[in-house]
Amino acid sequence: MAKSTSKTKSNSVWRFFSSVKLTIVLLIILAITSILGTIIPQMPQRESVEFARGLSPGMFKLFSFINLFDMYHSLWFRLIIGCLALNLIICSIDRFPATLKQFRFRPGADRNKPFQDLPLNQTFFVEGNVEDTANQVARFIKGRYKKIKRKHAGDRYYFLSEKGKYSRFGVYLVHLSVLIIVIGGLIGSFFGFDGYINIVEGEQIDAIKLRKQTTPLKLGFEVRCDKFTVDFYENGAPREYRSELSFFVNGKEVEKENLLVNHPIKFRGITFYQSSYGKTPGNKVRLKIVRHANEHESIGMEAEQGNSFPLPGKEGQFQVLKVDANLRGMMGPAALISIHAEQGDETRFWIFQNWETLQNRFPKQMLQSPMLNSSAFKPYTFYLEGLESKFYTGLQVNRDPGVSLVWIGSFLMIGGFFVTFFMSHRRIWVRVSNAKRGSTISIAGTSNKDPVGLERELAHLSINLNGYLNKRK
Amino acid sequence: MINTIILSYVTFGYFGAFILYLLMMVMGRATFGRLASLLSVVGLGAQSLAIILRWVESYQLGIGHAPFSNLYESLIFFSWTITLLYLIVEWRTKNRTLGVFVMPLAFLAMAYASFSPNIASRIQPLIPALKSNWLITHVITCFFAYAAFGISFGLSLMYFLKLVDNEKRNNTFLKLIPRKGILDDLNYQMVAIGFLMLTLGIITGSVWAYSAWGRYWGWDPKETWSLITWFIYAAVLHSRMVRGWTGKKIAIMSIIGFFCVLITYFGVNYLAGLHSYATT
Ligand code: HEM
Repeated sequence: MAKSTSKTKSNSVWRFFSSVKLTIVLLIILAITSILGTIIPQMPQRESVEFARGLSPGMFKLFSFINLFDMYHSLWFRLIIGCLALNLIICSIDRFPATLKQFRFRPGADRNKPFQDLPLNQTFFVEGNVEDTANQVARFIKGRYKKIKRKHAGDRYYFLSEKGKYSRFGVYLVHLSVLIIVIGGLIGSFFGFDGYINIVEGEQIDAIKLRKQTTPLKLGFEVRCDKFTVDFYENGAPREYRSELSFFVNGKEVEKENLLVNHPIKFRGITFYQSSYGKTPGNKVRLKIVRHANEHESIGMEAEQGNSFPLPGKEGQFQVLKVDANLRGMMGPAALISIHAEQGDETRFWIFQNWETLQNRFPKQMLQSPMLNSSAFKPYTFYLEGLESKFYTGLQVNRDPGVSLVWIGSFLMIGGFFVTFFMSHRRIWVRVSNAKRGSTISIAGTSNKDPVGLERELAHLSINLNGYLNKRK
Repeated sequence: MINTIILSYVTFGYFGAFILYLLMMVMGRATFGRLASLLSVVGLGAQSLAIILRWVESYQLGIGHAPFSNLYESLIFFSWTITLLYLIVEWRTKNRTLGVFVMPLAFLAMAYASFSPNIASRIQPLIPALKSNWLITHVITCFFAYAAFGISFGLSLMYFLKLVDNEKRNNTFLKLIPRKGILDDLNYQMVAIGFLMLTLGIITGSVWAYSAWGRYWGWDPKETWSLITWFIYAAVLHSRMVRGWTGKKIAIMSIIGFFCVLITYFGVNYLAGLHSYATT
């Protein structure tokens, strides 16, 4: 970037926002305030609530008032970023004309000023007449530089070549990329969403839950989880999670894909990520039914919830009404059995998988309700052997229309860094002047930065040109 | 496992190199310096071999992955990058004095990895979230950034030592340190390389986070600290544009910047978040 032109503009707001000092101050303020949010646990985390509980009511009020529990999304934090963006825009507008001037500036080839105070190794003597030598120099330089200006003045020949003049805009590219990334972030936070959903194997959903709202969001299509699998390493650590998903639009299947961690699926602008999994009871239970007749008769069977089955002794029908993986949150797996006798009323009772442990854990009286009597329908006793369990897959469901801008900005930023850090705008002059019985060659150059690199290039050029000219003789 | 045995020898090698660089500075004898460089180069070679062996070994165990996946492996890699980058700088500048300030970092990283009881040197399988090519580029770019900032830290310390040097004080150690202008220039170059690498590291990390968790930025403590570090070094780069900010201010900011790097790397394991090696 070039020097500021704000001397001509006396507007003090403009001057304030075009200063690089402000940039440094803002960057340091951003660094310091960002630290706060890494010490105070931020909102979606569980630790945040615990932390808030530990505060006195006054402190809590203060912290909530300035949004310290979700500070990165607070107005004041965004304002600081906004100031930086404004700083950047105004600074760039302020300096751009001067950069353009330097970019467009074409110095004459026949300037002698660059040749003042040359280091010794950048002037040397070659035998032979000036014109021949100049032609050779021209041939040599053409092989190395593009766009060469030539000038003949008196008994002196001048050559000027320029390179990397576009590198003057590298800094603007970097700064523009910062703005693009900020805009991409803003678009994402205004027009995107961030949700999640659990889908049980075999089931399908058409809406998801949003993190910041209570009403679910309709997707406009359906997603079914056909299958979920997880496999493990020998040490028990998980190796791979896989959800087989089908997507339906208006009831018609349009796509089938496998979702893995690190391999999200995008469907109609909405992206699905594998994020968690779990188990829920399915609708099948394994039962053991014992009939206490003359002989104890015992059968095992699998019963699906809601279907009716005949009792082994044909006294009536029974049905599994409900299945619960952990009844009342403490009684373990349970199933509600309903029996309709040929004549008489319905009998209902719960049966438990861990009946033995329940008997030890609870007082006798509590377990004497007829609802808990697994032998309530004579002459049968029902035992719950197990519940079929099903996996559900936990998906993260997002839409972020700003993300491509963020990637574009990132790409430009890296390109801009290469230009600003590793390129410079150099001008190289070569002068061939008449001397006694030969010519003197001088090599000079200017660069907008990296003086060490320029020195190296000039030294190199001197040695090679010297070698080239003297070999020809 | 042969790789861990080689790595423990490398730890001593780097310590030896540091002592030799120190002897060179204190006694003013170039021979020690040459030996120190030789030992560092040999150490780097052995370390490279060990890293490759470890990589091969993970495939033999059937859980093949690049050796950058836990704290042990990352410390080894950090030490490797800082030694490599230092040796490049030494070769380009033909000056060995920086070794006294940088080799301790390489040694300490190795020592911490090898001797801390909390750090497992076993090769562990990768959990699903870490199975990503972006992870490899993320780790490589981040650690080159850390190494460049580590060298900038060393240069800033040298800058402060050089400030107390003067004609009357006839101290070999201080005399051998290059001029302030050279230190400042080199520091700027290191910060520029580090800044470029850190930016690449943050970007590749974002791409990875986007494919694994569905967001490119989540204000997780480690992400945030890397951004804090980025802000600080952006401030360092810009302070060169403000007249009157001499090398001293830049040296102070580079030291603060390197502390931010250390917090990003280690401190964050004690804060909650997705990146803590202990929990993922
Ligand atoms: C986070 C945002 C920013 C980033 C990542 C950034 C990055 C950079 C980089 C990499 C350079 C090149 C440094 C060098 O060549 O040594 C630079 C130069 C510069 N930046 Fe920024 N910058 C940011 C914000 C700003 C802002 C807000 C201003 C507003 C005043 C600003 C003004 C300048 C100026 C004047 C230069 C000097 C260019 C030159 O003449 O060489 N920067 N910036």
